[in-house]
Amino acid sequence: MDHTIVVERTIAIVFGIVVLVTALVALKNDWKTPGLENHIFKLMLALLALGGLLGTLAGIGIIGKA
Amino acid sequence: MAVASSLLSTPVTHGHDDADQLYIETRELRVQGFLLFMVSDLVLFSSFIFAYLYLRNTGQGWPPPGAPHVDIWLAAMNSVVLFGSGATMHFALENWKHRNFMKFASWMVATIVLGLLFLGGQGVEYVSLYTKDHASWGGSGIFGASFFTLTGMHGFHVFVGVIYLTVLLLQATAGTYTFSKYTGLTLGTLYWHFVDVIWVVLFSIFYLL
Repeated sequence: MDHTIVVERTIAIVFGIVVLVTALVALKNDWKTPGLENHIFKLMLALLALGGLLGTLAGIGIIGKA
Repeated sequence: MAVASSLLSTPVTHGHDDADQLYIETRELRVQGFLLFMVSDLVLFSSFIFAYLYLRNTGQGWPPPGAPHVDIWLAAMNSVVLFGSGATMHFALENWKHRNFMKFASWMVATIVLGLLFLGGQGVEYVSLYTKDHASWGGSGIFGASFFTLTGMHGFHVFVGVIYLTVLLLQATAGTYTFSKYTGLTLGTLYWHFVDVIWVVLFSIFYLL
């Protein structure tokens, strides 16, 4: 496999997991915060966690068109 | 007489208290106004996304002949860089709430750098598509037009976001925001998360589906 691809996939997997965990922890900490903007923040954090998950799965090669 | 007595009974307030009261009264309005702007932006992106999905599902086959081959690994790496900037932006705001300016500034710089890295990655991808597949906005059919329009529009939003965050950081450094009044920083964080979330959709439809 090309060296560049290995670097790209590794970064995608590692960063993806970091983003996933960070977003989920932040979501858990902010879960009970009131207010309109905080509710939007929670929605955004959930979607950010989804993004981290998708990035990780794409890096592993489970999803996506290689 | 009644007016005079009511004026006399009105408590004397200082300018500082008036400013605080004005801030409290207008805060919700400013947040709602910004959310309306984000909804309008969401409608703009949704129109292009649904147009792309419609074209994709009504065509003879997908991808159409001659469509450029997008690099999923580069896109996956670039995506997590942008998503990572969402996490750093979250840390920046949290540190501001905890009255730690230095950590706030550090996370803001990290967010700006990651945003610039994303833009650089997108530039590399465009150059690669142009040189390898000879793909361009006008010369690569439905797929190319949709791809470059949507990712280009998103890239422009990231570019604007990088400038926006830089201005917010400079304002915070100059003392525009206090640890109790920081609506501008909250709205900047909302904008950056919005840009991240739009990319989750674009990454899914162009690289994963």
